[in-house]
Amino acid sequence: MARTRSTKGAGAGAKATSSPKTATTTTNNSSTVYTLPAESENPPRVFVLPKQTSPEARIVTLQNPRYSKPTRYLACASTGFYEFTKISASKTAPRSWLLHGSQGDDCDNKFDTHTTRGADLYVSSAIDPVFLVLPALVKSGSDKKRRFLSSDDHFDALSESSSTTDETTSHLSELLKWPEIRRILEKRMETVCDTVEAGGEQMFRLNQDKLLDEILLKAKRMAKHGLPKSMVEKFVTKALEAPILGIRSAQAASKPSNAATSQQESSHDNSGANTPSLESADSQSTMSSVETTYTSVSDASTAATSVSSLSSAAAEEPNNEVVNAMSASQEVIDLQTLRVAFDFICSTYLPPALSKALKENLLATNDSRKGTDFKPLDDYLVQLAKLRQLAVAARSTDYSRKRTMDEEADERAEKKRKKEEEDKIKNANMSRGVKQLKKVNTSGMKKLSEFFKKK
Amino acid sequence: MLEARLDQAQILKKIVDAIKDLVQDCNFDCNDSGIALQAMDNSHVALVSMMLKSESFSPYRCDRNIALGVNLTSLTKVLRAAQNDDILTLKAEDAPDVLNLMFENSGNDRVSEYDLKLMDIDQEHLGIPETEYAATINMPAAEFKRITTDLMAMSESVTIDASKDGVKFSAMGDIGNGSVTLRQHVDVEKENENVTIELSEPVSLTFSLKYLVNFCKASALSSSVKICLSNEVPLLVEYNVGNSSFLRFYLAPKIGDEE
Repeated sequence: MARTRSTKGAGAGAKATSSPKTATTTTNNSSTVYTLPAESENPPRVFVLPKQTSPEARIVTLQNPRYSKPTRYLACASTGFYEFTKISASKTAPRSWLLHGSQGDDCDNKFDTHTTRGADLYVSSAIDPVFLVLPALVKSGSDKKRRFLSSDDHFDALSESSSTTDETTSHLSELLKWPEIRRILEKRMETVCDTVEAGGEQMFRLNQDKLLDEILLKAKRMAKHGLPKSMVEKFVTKALEAPILGIRSAQAASKPSNAATSQQESSHDNSGANTPSLESADSQSTMSSVETTYTSVSDASTAATSVSSLSSAAAEEPNNEVVNAMSASQEVIDLQTLRVAFDFICSTYLPPALSKALKENLLATNDSRKGTDFKPLDDYLVQLAKLRQLAVAARSTDYSRKRTMDEEADERAEKKRKKEEEDKIKNANMSRGVKQLKKVNTSGMKKLSEFFKKK
Repeated sequence: MLEARLDQAQILKKIVDAIKDLVQDCNFDCNDSGIALQAMDNSHVALVSMMLKSESFSPYRCDRNIALGVNLTSLTKVLRAAQNDDILTLKAEDAPDVLNLMFENSGNDRVSEYDLKLMDIDQEHLGIPETEYAATINMPAAEFKRITTDLMAMSESVTIDASKDGVKFSAMGDIGNGSVTLRQHVDVEKENENVTIELSEPVSLTFSLKYLVNFCKASALSSSVKICLSNEVPLLVEYNVGNSSFLRFYLAPKIGDEE
C-alpha cells in the first residue's frame, strides 16, 4: 500500500520536472541515460486576468493596506485596481501546469513549453482603490489638528509610510503620473472623506462615519450574495448552533436544515468563532510576501466538500431527528452573516488600528436605521453561551453518545500508551542495580545537593 | 577530537560495571587533563565521581572539551565484546553523535570496532570541596565487600562507629543483630591486608547498606579501599585506579531515625 503511494508520488514529481522532454525520449529511451534540464530560476506563473483591462495595465508593487508589506497589484488606468488571490493545489494531490509554448515567429513572444512545479493559479479580482490609500488617510487623520490635505499630500504620506522598499514608492509615483489613476483614487477618496475646495484644489479629510457606512455597504452586498459555503459553515452555522438536547427517533425524514446543524463536534467550542479574524482562521489565510498576495482558498474548498459530505451523510439517516436547544431565527442568521462579512473586510483590507476603531464605532452606533442593530444577535449569543455551558456541564458526566468525550478519552488512552512505551524503552536501558536501588528506603537521607553546592 | 588509548580494557570495563548499577545515563566529560564523570543516582542520595587522568592513557589526545552522553547499560553491552587484556581506544569527534570504541588483541591481531550512539544529557554538576575527614579508614576492598554483604542479611542499614578502639560496623534487623569490628592491622609481608585507621575524633553514622553493596562492585578495580567519614557529611568510598586516577562514591548518611 505504502509502496504504491510512494511510486505514485515519485511519478508525479518526475512529471513535474521532466515531462517536456519525456516525449522525445520514448523513441530511444533504451540506450540514453537521461538528465533533467535545470529548474528555471524564474518559472512562469499562471494568471487569470480581467478581460476589459487596457493594454497599459501593469502589475505593480504597492503597500498592502492591512499588513503594510509590499504586495503585487494589477493597476489599470481605465478599470482600476485588482488584487491577486493565489489558489494552491492541495499538497496531498500534487499537480502541475503544462504550459504549451507559442510558436510565434516574433522572438519577443516566443515562449517555451513549460511544466511548473506546482499548480498554483493567481486570480485577479477588483479591489476598491480606497483601501490602498486608507493607510495614508488614517495617518493624516490621526493628527490632532485633523487637517484637510490635498490628494498629493495624502499620496506622499502613503509613499513615506510604505515599508521602505524603493520599488513600492517608485511604482506608486509612476502610477500617479497617469491622470486616470489619480482620478479613480480621488473619486473613491471622496466617498470616505470630508472634502473642501481650496484654491481650486480639492482637499480631503478622513471621515470615519463615512468609512463605516461604506464598509457596511460592502458587507451588506457581500452578505446579500451569500458568503462562501466554508465561511458560512465555520462562522455562521457553527457560531450560532445550539447544543443538542437529544436525538429523537422520528418517522419523517429530517429536514435538511436539521442535518446541517447536526454537526455537533464543535458545539462545545464557544471560543468566539463569530469574529473571523483571518490571521488565525486556518481555512482562509491571507499571506503576504514581497512577491504576491494570495489567499489560499484550497483548504477552504476541501473543508467545504468534507462538510457537505458529512451533512449529506447525516441527511441519509432520516430516523434520527436532532433536537437542538434553540435555533436561530432568520434575522439572527442574517445579522451574523453581515457581521462576518464586515469583520472579513476589516481584517483583510483595513489597517489593524483602523479596523479596531471601526468595530468599536459599529458597536457604538447600534441603530436600526441602517439595518445594523445587532441587538437580537447579541441577545441570542448571550443565551447561547449559557446553553453551551450547561451542555458542557451535562456532558462531563455523560459518556454514552458524545463523540467529543470519546475523542478525549482516546487522546488520554493514546497518551497513556505512549508513556508506557517510553517507560518500557527506558526500563530496557536500566540496569538491574538501578531498578533495585529505586526500592531502597531513602528516608532520613538528605539529597547530596544539600551537602555539595551546585556549580 | 578525542583519542584515548587504554592498555587494558578491563579498567574501563570494571569502572562501567561498578557505575552502571548506580546511574543510568551520564556524561563522560573529556578535556586535556583526562576523562571525568560525575553522576547521581535517581534519588540523588549517592554520587559517583570518576577521574581517569590522561596519564592513565597512552597516548591521550583531547583538543577540546567534549561531553559524551552515554547510556551505561548500552556501554556495558559494547564493552562485553572486549577482553580484559585488549587494548582499548576511545575516539570521538568534537561534536560527536557516536563514540567509537576499538578493541585490539595484541596476541592474535584481532581488531573489533564499535560505534555507540550518544545522547544529550542535561546534568547538574556539584562542586565537591576538599574535606578533612574525622576518620579515614584504609582496608582491603574484599574485606569491605564481605562486611557489607554479610550485614545485608541482617538489615537494610549499617552503623559505622569509628573510635580509638577500631571501626565497628553494626546492623540491627528483625531477625537479630550483628556487627564486625576491625582494628588497625599492619603486616609488612601482606600489605594488601593492612587495615589503617586515622582518627581525629570519634564518628558514628548510619548508611543504607544497599548503596554500600552497590559501591562494592568497584572492588575489582583495586585491592584496597579508602573510607572517609565525618559527622553530618556524606561518606566517601574511594577506589584507586592507579596513576592518580580514581573512582569515588559519596553517600548521604541516614539522620534522625532508628530504622
